[in-house]
Amino acid sequence: MAITTVARAGAMAALAALALTACSTGGTDAPGAAGGDCAPSDGPVELTFTSWLPGIDEAVAIWNDENPDVQVTVQTGPNGNGGTYQNFFNQLEAGNAPDLGQIEFDALPNFRVQDGLENIAACEGIVEAESQFVDWTWSQVTFGEEDAVYAIPQDTGPMALFYRADLFEAAGIEIPETWEDYRAAAAQIREEGGYINNFSQSDINAFAGLVWQTGGEWFTNDGDAWEVSLTGDESLQVAEYWQGMIEDDLVAKYPPWTDEWNAAYNSSEIWTWLSAVWGANTILSGAPDTAGNWAVAPMPQWEAGESAAGNWGGSTTAVLKGSDHPYEAAQFALWLNTDADALTAMNRTAQIYPATVEGADLPVFSEGVEFYGGQKIYEVFAAAGAEVDPDFTWGPTMTQVYNDVADGFSGALSGSGTLMDALESGQASTISALEAASIPVKE
Amino acid sequence: MQVFGGFTQYVAVFENEAFWSSIGRVLLFGAVQVPIMLGIALILALLLDSPLVRGSKFFRLAFFAPYAVPSVIAAIMWGFLYSPNLSPFTGVTQSVDFLSAGNVLWSIANVVTWVYVGYNMLIIYSALLAIPSEIYEAARLDGASQLRIAWSIKIPLVVPALVLTGIFSIIGTLQLLAEPQVFQSFTSAVTSTFTPNLTIYSTASVPNISLAAAMSVVLALATFVLSFTVLKLTQRRTAA
Amino acid sequence: MTATSPRPAKTEKARRVGRDTAHSGIRESAASRTIAMAVMIVATLYFLTPIWWLLVASSKTRSDFTTTAPLWFADFALFDNIAALFDYRNAVFLRWLGNSALYAGVGALLATIIAAMAGYAIAKYSFRGRELLFNIILGGVLVPATALALPLFLLFSQVGATNTIWAVFLPSLVSPFGVYLSRIYAAASVPDEIVEAARIDGAGEVRTFFTVATRLMAPALVTIFLFQFVAIWNNFFLPLIMLRDESLFPVTLGLYVWNTQVSQIPDIRALVIVGSLLSIIPLILTFLGLQRFWQSGLASGGLK
Repeated sequence: MAITTVARAGAMAALAALALTACSTGGTDAPGAAGGDCAPSDGPVELTFTSWLPGIDEAVAIWNDENPDVQVTVQTGPNGNGGTYQNFFNQLEAGNAPDLGQIEFDALPNFRVQDGLENIAACEGIVEAESQFVDWTWSQVTFGEEDAVYAIPQDTGPMALFYRADLFEAAGIEIPETWEDYRAAAAQIREEGGYINNFSQSDINAFAGLVWQTGGEWFTNDGDAWEVSLTGDESLQVAEYWQGMIEDDLVAKYPPWTDEWNAAYNSSEIWTWLSAVWGANTILSGAPDTAGNWAVAPMPQWEAGESAAGNWGGSTTAVLKGSDHPYEAAQFALWLNTDADALTAMNRTAQIYPATVEGADLPVFSEGVEFYGGQKIYEVFAAAGAEVDPDFTWGPTMTQVYNDVADGFSGALSGSGTLMDALESGQASTISALEAASIPVKE
Repeated sequence: MQVFGGFTQYVAVFENEAFWSSIGRVLLFGAVQVPIMLGIALILALLLDSPLVRGSKFFRLAFFAPYAVPSVIAAIMWGFLYSPNLSPFTGVTQSVDFLSAGNVLWSIANVVTWVYVGYNMLIIYSALLAIPSEIYEAARLDGASQLRIAWSIKIPLVVPALVLTGIFSIIGTLQLLAEPQVFQSFTSAVTSTFTPNLTIYSTASVPNISLAAAMSVVLALATFVLSFTVLKLTQRRTAA
Repeated sequence: MTATSPRPAKTEKARRVGRDTAHSGIRESAASRTIAMAVMIVATLYFLTPIWWLLVASSKTRSDFTTTAPLWFADFALFDNIAALFDYRNAVFLRWLGNSALYAGVGALLATIIAAMAGYAIAKYSFRGRELLFNIILGGVLVPATALALPLFLLFSQVGATNTIWAVFLPSLVSPFGVYLSRIYAAASVPDEIVEAARIDGAGEVRTFFTVATRLMAPALVTIFLFQFVAIWNNFFLPLIMLRDESLFPVTLGLYVWNTQVSQIPDIRALVIVGSLLSIIPLILTFLGLQRFWQSGLASGGLK
């Protein structure tokens, strides 16, 4: 507050520029670049790569040792929505974006719509790489366009059910296989004084993972216009299920990712977590006192015998618009996300779970994990990854969607409105956000 | 592709309900928090300046120390102190939910007050030090109490400093960003359009840069009008 | 906004107040002393408890952090935590501390000189558009921080200066509040006669400013330096927009970046807490150090 003038410095010149910006319409002209040519550059190449993965420089160092003519410099920043995406947009506007950037799957359409991505389909070996990646990830980076590849998948977050094996056993509760079982278990656990889960008001992408599992889609794009369906049947089905759990006080309501939330898991108050593969490490560090007592099972299903899975999180390496060396950048991106040494390094420093099919077979994923009672938990996630629906599409304004739906969800948790109301108002505000950004919407 | 769009973006700002309700929220915040903060700052500055307090050097440091804590870190710390389970004051935090939708605005107000009281106190205090001591030496010899001296001599002389800190506080209130942003990770009661700056930030990261820019211009103008009005009002009063 | 200097006022009224007996003054001050000290102690608790909490939290192991009393020490692991912090990623945290010291130290020094010159000029020279210029400078504080991010970034991009120390350093040199304060102090504490006398002695305007005016304005200059130092040190928004190279980060941005990674790598939380503690210590030391200077500046009669 008060006199933190530093950021406001140079105010007047900048203000003039700003007022002009405000007068121009927010045009998002359709990007025309198709996968034309992609030729190697002459002579030594220097690339810049922005990523917030801790320790990403270790993996990059391997590349730099092997490729003296293509040297990659790592730049870092906060996670995507913490500021790096905003920085990318600023840099794209100024024409000085890095050659490569880390972009999560749910942010990729936004960059596509804003014409921030190079199409690297024409670059050597890129299209052929499709078979190396888990099915659903490739459709995310092509947007279903012909001759188009806009990024290389890096990591994924197939979802499963983390549960307290010891508590379930002691209470004599079966591990739920269907959502119906899960609700029944929730009631039993409530009688034991615990909660089966915490309903996260702000992890809207986790909620989307549940909708994804159910077969719903929040966005579709036919090439001309976007269709928004936050209030689709599957989406409402998931919302009604959890709304019932909230109303019957069967789920806890801690704000996620806080110490209280950790404490609730650490003190055995909460018994399960529907989360992605990377969540394994979250529990390990957030609830250290529960070591050895956890296990992992596939997500509960709507119909017994099904094996549908959702996905929460994951990112890509994209070649950003304006790169002088798209060929080399594309080669680096492909190497980074397929090379066994690079994937192992990134897993060691940042716990990423690779998006490649072979990545699931890396030695680190074939061992039992002590914290989970020695269970080979990654087998569950590898199986889940193969079951993720490839048709799910993220929209171009996910930050806004997350914010708006989260606002509604928090209302629902404090008793004003329902999760369904939240989706409905999210639907309306998303459509108006798209229209405000001049993105065509199909009503 | 930049086309001059006339005032379409400004029209969109005026039709944007969330933006205006965020301005309403910070105005309410400012109407309550700024007088309290400046009142405390004034009282502490007067006490430091009076002969009643020993060890004023220590107290001055103690009161100013929070200003050395970056807003982001201050908000994180208070987040812990408000926490129902982890707070050192669980007796209080388990009966009052500081992070509920109804209370969180005032919980943030407390963080802002905590950080900036010392800072404002220092400005007022330095204005007090600038008063030649002869002015109230006579009053003191006459046996006037410290309270009388403070009320009748010192406060009128530091009114310009109060106006200054008041205006800067109003500006700061309208531009609240870091504290509510951090609080979003503790409670979902802080929405993405909680304050005008948060609204602008979340609009810009859509990215709808043109609308965000127009909102910024409107906010700057609103800030100007408000601080100018306060200045004129206080000037008229002190001149009278 | 118009500058209003603190001027002696209402002295007549002041002399008329409180013609009580001398005794009542003494009696009252005994009771008031107690009340005053009580207020000071309560205020001290309010202001220092959170910082105390940070100190205690920094000294705990991760499991003690959530399980032991928040306001008292458990197993004292402060130095282990600090060692872990300095060890993390080739001591990048130390580098950030150094960067902050550079940006804040040099930046605040130059900002103070510039603000002092501007404030002095506005106070002591009359020229066309003087008030307009002053009001435009003050207008700078009205612009929201978020609003300036993109325009500033684009301006720096045009000269290819993003991701350099200049992108953080140059905007830090501007302090509208400093200009405001300098103007008030220059008007109040630098008598026109002294400036005249220096001129008659043949000193140029610049020399007059640096030898005569700055000395008289010293207390204000220290204050401006202090506030600007804190403002630069605490600012993370501008570096967030401008910098991509980790080795250029100031400590606040570094901590913010780590804080956004906490959900991914929860072990970082302990580093964020210890790092927060270490990042506020230099500020408190600066304030302590400058306090003496500031005191002596006042005592030497700069304003009396």
